[in-house]
Amino acid sequence: MTEDLAVAVPAPATVTVTDARAGSFRVDAHHGEILQGVFATGGRLRRGLVTLPCPLYSTRATFLPTEKTGTTVRPAWRSKARRAADLTLARLGHPVPGGLLDITSDIPLCRGFGSSTADVTSAIGAVLAATGRRLPPAEVGALAVEAETASDSLMYGGRAVVFAHREGEPIEDLGELMPLAVLGFGTSPGGRGVDTLELTPARYTSWEIEAFRPLRGLLRRAVRDGDAGLLGRVATASTLLNQRHLPVPGLDDVLAAARAAGSVGVQVAHSGDVAGLLFDARDPETPARLEFAATRLAALDVTETWQFETER
Amino acid sequence: MTLAAPVSRSVVEATELPRIIRIRPNFHVAAFGLMKLLPARFMLDRAEERGEVGPGTTVLETSSGTFGLGLAMVCRLRGYPLTIVGDPAIDEPLRRRLEHLGARVEICPEPSPVGGYQRARLDRLEELRTEYPNHWVPGQYSNPDNPRSYALVAEQLAETIGVPDCLVGAVGSGGSTSGTSSFLRMLVPELTLIGVDTQRSAIFGQPDGPRVLRGLGNSLVPPNVDHAGYDQVHWIGAAEAFAATRDLYARHCLFMGPTSGASFKVADWFSRRNPDATVVALLPDEGYRYQDTVYSDDWLRAQGLAHAGAAEPDEVVAPTGPGGSWTWLNWGRRSLADAS
Repeated sequence: MTEDLAVAVPAPATVTVTDARAGSFRVDAHHGEILQGVFATGGRLRRGLVTLPCPLYSTRATFLPTEKTGTTVRPAWRSKARRAADLTLARLGHPVPGGLLDITSDIPLCRGFGSSTADVTSAIGAVLAATGRRLPPAEVGALAVEAETASDSLMYGGRAVVFAHREGEPIEDLGELMPLAVLGFGTSPGGRGVDTLELTPARYTSWEIEAFRPLRGLLRRAVRDGDAGLLGRVATASTLLNQRHLPVPGLDDVLAAARAAGSVGVQVAHSGDVAGLLFDARDPETPARLEFAATRLAALDVTETWQFETER
Repeated sequence: MTLAAPVSRSVVEATELPRIIRIRPNFHVAAFGLMKLLPARFMLDRAEERGEVGPGTTVLETSSGTFGLGLAMVCRLRGYPLTIVGDPAIDEPLRRRLEHLGARVEICPEPSPVGGYQRARLDRLEELRTEYPNHWVPGQYSNPDNPRSYALVAEQLAETIGVPDCLVGAVGSGGSTSGTSSFLRMLVPELTLIGVDTQRSAIFGQPDGPRVLRGLGNSLVPPNVDHAGYDQVHWIGAAEAFAATRDLYARHCLFMGPTSGASFKVADWFSRRNPDATVVALLPDEGYRYQDTVYSDDWLRAQGLAHAGAAEPDEVVAPTGPGGSWTWLNWGRRSLADAS
């Protein structure tokens, strides 16, 4: 993991606070997981996930250093972002006593889009930008977990990283993710959302624990070859393995719709209520397939759908 | 691929996975040095985790083949005493290898009237359980950790080959074929699984009887065989398997045992009939144990097996045929009761 944060995620185009000392950082949302389970690493098993990026939404944090000790966040309820900024300042040895942290976000809350990780990760990035410092993604991950208990791999940008979300550490960096087109949809009526930290971690069976190995093996190959079809198989298998633990209502119908529409696979936000049908963004057939898939989902009484590509 | 591969902590870790070798663009083999190392190591790992095995535990198992050898290696490296109950199929060199690894080898001289040597071995194992209060029996025929151990092979196949269309393997305990396919089917539900058995094996519904081809087949039906997972079942004769084993060496320089020959022959047949399908054959062990038998022309002639056997299988509609020395049944993922 040699890249630092400033390389992993592009710098923002504009800065909202017009002060030379201010630092700003933008983090895209994610759309839940391509793969979530337990993975062997260093002779033991750890919970981990591979995140699907979603540039449909983003969060921008701007940090303006002040002489006052500690961070003040706006809006005040984004307290995890404030905590992340304070932790980052402490980690850097307090290059400034504190600051004013502005969070602007259009990421929906409690749905699995990674809104709180985006708050935290953008806050860390903004403090780094304002103080002219850098940290490797693994350290950003550790700070993010300290600030909010669990984290996602948003600090790795468009890379497919098997990420230990409860420790904030990478298990394996598989490489650059191929461009995917996604038809997203809400899996609970009315899009009421889920409090992600209230969820009990899945207790996988002995067979399921082993079953994640071939999924990781095929994902390595999918990313190496840029093969969206193979990646889709991994996502569908992960969805099925986790179905017992956080069920998606009507999954069989969704899988049938995906097959009929020529989708490469179905992915789910395992700590939220959004899911997506995946398509190869480079395939000329994809726009027509997306259109057909949307009609199939509508026939299943899916009331809200959205489309995006993983690369801006 | 890097030359600076990590240093293995033991020969088990270094050699438990197969080498994947391309025979034709759509036909690969997974060639193990000693396949049974993998389930032996995995079953012992899980038993240690559950606290079923610890200091002072004696490991007891019935095996006349390579599972005993794999288990003997794993037990030796971890310091567990091991007793293997076998039958006369344990040849003298194998017996010596087991004993050199510190295992105690007991041979059952006579088969049971029902269930053959397999039954006699299991009966003796029951006696040993009472002799050793602190014991652990891996139970390769029924322990679900046997099939589960093959997730590593499925991972390796997925990473190196992608999604195969067809997996072929010899069936003895059911661990490798049922296990590997159950994991691969998470990723490729349409995977065709072909089990290779031999005449007079009870696994897929033939009446039990004496068998020349060993290392696959069984006098009993092991619980680890998930019958509903198999699309095709082949019963292959000793002549076909031995000739294919020699052919595998002569044409592809793959020095493997007769179960590998049987698996290869069936996989080669399927691959030629389905040229667009990506086929993988599991080859369970190397040829050294068979140098005086399968690799000896004199021995083959003395057995009346110095011929290639059938070039094509006869399709049958029931396990008992009728058909020649190589038959196949469109099993269709049925239970044993439904197919018999």
